[in-house]
Amino acid sequence: MRFIGYVFSEAFRSLWRNKLSSFLSSLTTGFALFLLGISFLVSINLGYIYTMAEEQMEIQAYIIKDATANQIATAVDQVQKIPGVSTVKYVSKEDALEELKVMFKDKASVLESLEDENPLPASIRVKTSSVEYIDKVVEEIQTMDIIDDVIYQEEVSRRMMSIGKAVQYISLGGMVAVGAVSVMVIGNSIRLTIDSKRHEIGVMKLVGATDGFIVGPFILEGMVMGIVGSILGAVFAVGIYNWLFEKIYEVIPFMPMFALDAESKLRMFGIMAITGIVVGVAGSVISVRRHLKV
Amino acid sequence: MSLLINLRNVSKDYGGTVKALESVNLEIDKGEFVFIVGPSGAGKSTLIKLLYREEVPSKGQVVVLGKDLAKLRRREVPYLRRRIGVVFQDFKLLEEKTVWENVSFALEVTGTPNREIRKRVSQVLTLVGLKDRRDAFPNELSGGEQQRIAIARALARNPDILLADEPSGNLDPKTSLEIFSLLERANMYGTTVVVATHAQEMVNLFKKRVIELRNGTVVRDERRGAYSS
Repeated sequence: MRFIGYVFSEAFRSLWRNKLSSFLSSLTTGFALFLLGISFLVSINLGYIYTMAEEQMEIQAYIIKDATANQIATAVDQVQKIPGVSTVKYVSKEDALEELKVMFKDKASVLESLEDENPLPASIRVKTSSVEYIDKVVEEIQTMDIIDDVIYQEEVSRRMMSIGKAVQYISLGGMVAVGAVSVMVIGNSIRLTIDSKRHEIGVMKLVGATDGFIVGPFILEGMVMGIVGSILGAVFAVGIYNWLFEKIYEVIPFMPMFALDAESKLRMFGIMAITGIVVGVAGSVISVRRHLKV
Repeated sequence: MSLLINLRNVSKDYGGTVKALESVNLEIDKGEFVFIVGPSGAGKSTLIKLLYREEVPSKGQVVVLGKDLAKLRRREVPYLRRRIGVVFQDFKLLEEKTVWENVSFALEVTGTPNREIRKRVSQVLTLVGLKDRRDAFPNELSGGEQQRIAIARALARNPDILLADEPSGNLDPKTSLEIFSLLERANMYGTTVVVATHAQEMVNLFKKRVIELRNGTVVRDERRGAYSS
């Protein structure tokens, strides 16, 4: 109890005594974490654009003319069971015609002639949970008896797959790089604080303070600066993102951009706060250790 | 009398060819007051550092308060130091803390209860005669007053041993006399005192045990000795 009381009173006394440098450290931390937050936002946006594109990828499997309703039902069932398939939708000849009518509303008269003898084939439309499954799914569907032909954007799906990998690597790499920079920035600003207390640490060792008493307040200080920094960084990141979001929307309304919801804000803040705290604590411990060697 | 400090064949070098100490044998009993004298570079500071385990011997054995310091584990060092007060030439006070805080700090960081801290700080500040300057900062005090604060801090935990490395190095003769009188007072209360010093007049005046070092070896060990033989 005595220890905890000491750590808290000493940490906050020291933060308060060095108001300006504590604030500057938090601000630097905040800036580093802001960059981390921005790279997180960029990465969820890339991911968002990618999933949007992915969702529009559809496989159309045309069914032969004389398939029975039973055969179709079995086929739909089978397709449903292929790994990676997320939705399966049966589109009858009539449905297909309806769709066409909707698409060419103003030229409905042209289509009327088709009513008597509908030339459109029935089809099964399949979506996969991710583009990487498309090839396999197509292969399997093609082996089915009642399937006439399978149409899908082969080239697009191949490209999507390589883009998807690149997006993952780039956003991961970006976060790691920015994370590493923030580790250095935060570690450095804490090291400066501790270097200025070298004398005090020397006296503590001299009078027989245990390592816990020496390191404890620094750990808490590092934690507090990490938390304050992550709050500052998160506020800036969200503010700037929302501002950009509106500006971009005004200019390019159809640009796919991820609107920040509470959950993603929380996730971003979580990443920033955890990085801030971990780096703050690790920075303190490493820097104090150097002065602790007996 | 019980042995508080015992050095057996102690040598210390800092990696170079010159030895700071060579084959030193030394026994200091509880309650003694000992001067360590000798020219600069004779090894006085190294000897003091070995006693509070700032340094460990390159060879030989240093036993303080019944503990072999070379074998002492890192986490045991703080507990040894709580029983040893140390005073330096440059005082080592914390400039941003008041007189009271400088002394209470030493007790606080070793986990002493608040009530005990108030009592002890008040006692030692009275002992060194600076209780009415308790709210002053070190830079508002004279060198002699600062050294008295450092002594108060060293005595706050009522240590078994008080070590002083050139405690009057920066002080004029009159102030030096005050400081040595204070060390003698601490000795009368039962603390064993070891002082490394250049201050000839003081050594001659106080007539205590004198150990003389030259080039890292003990060349003289005299009861009630003088600075030079």
